[in-house]
Amino acid sequence: METESPNNNDLGRTLAMLLARLWLALRSLQTGIEKFAGTRSSETAVTIDGAANTYGLTESASSKVYGISHYSGVPKALYDKFAAEPLIPGWFLGLYDLLLGPALLLLGLTLLLGIATRVSLFVMGLVYTSLTFGLILLKQDAGVAWLAAHVILIVMALSLANHNRFAILKKW
Amino acid sequence: MNPSPSNISRRSFLTRSLGAGLVLGAPSILKAAGTSPSDTLKVAIIGFGKQGRVLFEAMSNIPGLHFQAVCDIWDYNRKGGMGKVRALQGHLPNGYVDAEEMLNKEKDLDAVIVATPDFWHSRHTVMCLEAGLNVYCEKMMSNTIDDARAMVLAAERTGKLCQIGHQRRSNPRYRYTLEQLLKRHQICGQIVNVNGQWNRAVSSSQDIAYKESLAIDPAVLKKYGFKDMHQFMNWRTYRDLSGGPISDLGAHQIDIFNWYLGTVPKRVYASGGNDFFTQREHFDNVMAIFDYDTPQGGCRAFYQVLTTTSAGGGYYESFMGTEGTINISERAAYTNIYRESGSKMSWEPLVEKGYLKKVAASAPAASGDSDAIASYESAAPEAFALPGELNKPPHQPHLENFFAAIRGEETLNCDARHAFESEAPIYWVNPSALDGAPVNLTPDHLSV
Repeated sequence: METESPNNNDLGRTLAMLLARLWLALRSLQTGIEKFAGTRSSETAVTIDGAANTYGLTESASSKVYGISHYSGVPKALYDKFAAEPLIPGWFLGLYDLLLGPALLLLGLTLLLGIATRVSLFVMGLVYTSLTFGLILLKQDAGVAWLAAHVILIVMALSLANHNRFAILKKW
Repeated sequence: MNPSPSNISRRSFLTRSLGAGLVLGAPSILKAAGTSPSDTLKVAIIGFGKQGRVLFEAMSNIPGLHFQAVCDIWDYNRKGGMGKVRALQGHLPNGYVDAEEMLNKEKDLDAVIVATPDFWHSRHTVMCLEAGLNVYCEKMMSNTIDDARAMVLAAERTGKLCQIGHQRRSNPRYRYTLEQLLKRHQICGQIVNVNGQWNRAVSSSQDIAYKESLAIDPAVLKKYGFKDMHQFMNWRTYRDLSGGPISDLGAHQIDIFNWYLGTVPKRVYASGGNDFFTQREHFDNVMAIFDYDTPQGGCRAFYQVLTTTSAGGGYYESFMGTEGTINISERAAYTNIYRESGSKMSWEPLVEKGYLKKVAASAPAASGDSDAIASYESAAPEAFALPGELNKPPHQPHLENFFAAIRGEETLNCDARHAFESEAPIYWVNPSALDGAPVNLTPDHLSV
């Protein structure tokens, strides 16, 4: 009868940890990048019979662009709802809106590179917990469940922290 | 470059317009010169109510304008307008209650925008023209045909520009549809019927309220022709002050009937009633049928304005032909073009060249439906759309045309004479409805 060797077991957990890190890093990084996304609209003269029309008829085109000027930490629709919540002070909401995007970018980067992985995972869990608090206030149960799935992944990654490899700073 | 004054007789009017079908074509006269294209035009606005604000917002996108004065008898409008001007150009314009006083003090104006109640249009316009200023006056030209005639005569006597605010005349979508689709490619074939409608829900037709604390001094109201504040706020519902819904809403669209058909009607039958707003002087619902003789043949146009139901919403003019139908509206959402089933003319080449856009056909009604009797119904037409849109406020192109004409760069798209020729039949809708009889439109009815 064949038994699993300790080395094989370690490899499985190492790969599991690596996969969890990659997924959570990607989730956090791209979500942070998307908070700098916006739309640029342009109007061009309609071409009729091979030439730009002289009447002033235009067609509009819009394209997705990224930039600091498009930054929005908390989506406008959610922001307005949070602003109406008595348990969320206005100053806190403004600060949270300002920091959420950069925080997601930073946490995604540290997790991807393996810089203080455990602390990064824990802080990331706190961010998702804070988002959960907001969605509980708005009674968005589906969103709460969705965030809970993220937190479960973080908990699993933390429990595999001893198998963390390919990390720049293993301490913390 | 200013046109010479002309006293055109009714006979010559007929020769020029009804017979030759020139009435509603592009004006060949009326562009001014003497202003360098780089010069800033000094503009005054008389009437800064709802429509004045719409025009100001459109003008705020046009470069080369300086808003020098704002005139309105209501403090609320005047001060609000002056604030908007300050927000745009950084300093307050001069404010006036009285237009005559404004004209006496402001000696270097180039143009005046008149957006006062209809019964003041003619007096303000004539006053400004005679002061040597170019005028953009909102439609309807006046609440009476004689006052509208006076505007034409004043414009031609003074040689100054007078553009009437039928803004669709400068709308690229309307101009394109007329010149390319109807005239050049004749996609509708023979136009055999025209419909137009503008319907508003009761909730959108209520009397306009005001705060007592903002009311105008009764002596001022009386001086300017209003018996009280209610009449000032709701002048559109009074017979002595306006033409009512057929004039307020219908004028824009009936103008398109005449412009597109290239002629004026020979007869009008109308009916109207106070079906819901029983205390109003004007009819709340009006329907009119205009009979035309066009170069293509006979044609009728039906127009309906209801202020008591939105009837599902939307406002548009529909040109129905043997080969296709164009429903055109200032709103792109209400604009649709249909090719008749079985039409001999293929529109595919027009689509390939970009003159039209093909629209995904909506699902046809199933022929097997229990409510379908195939022999009763035409096959579903193909649907098309205009190839582009207007990306500006709808009044902006018409105002741009006015200011370009002042600079000598363009001719007016709707000068007073052409506007009068198109508006004249509208003045006979209410009399027809009141008498319950058709009005045969003769030169006495239609000419200056």
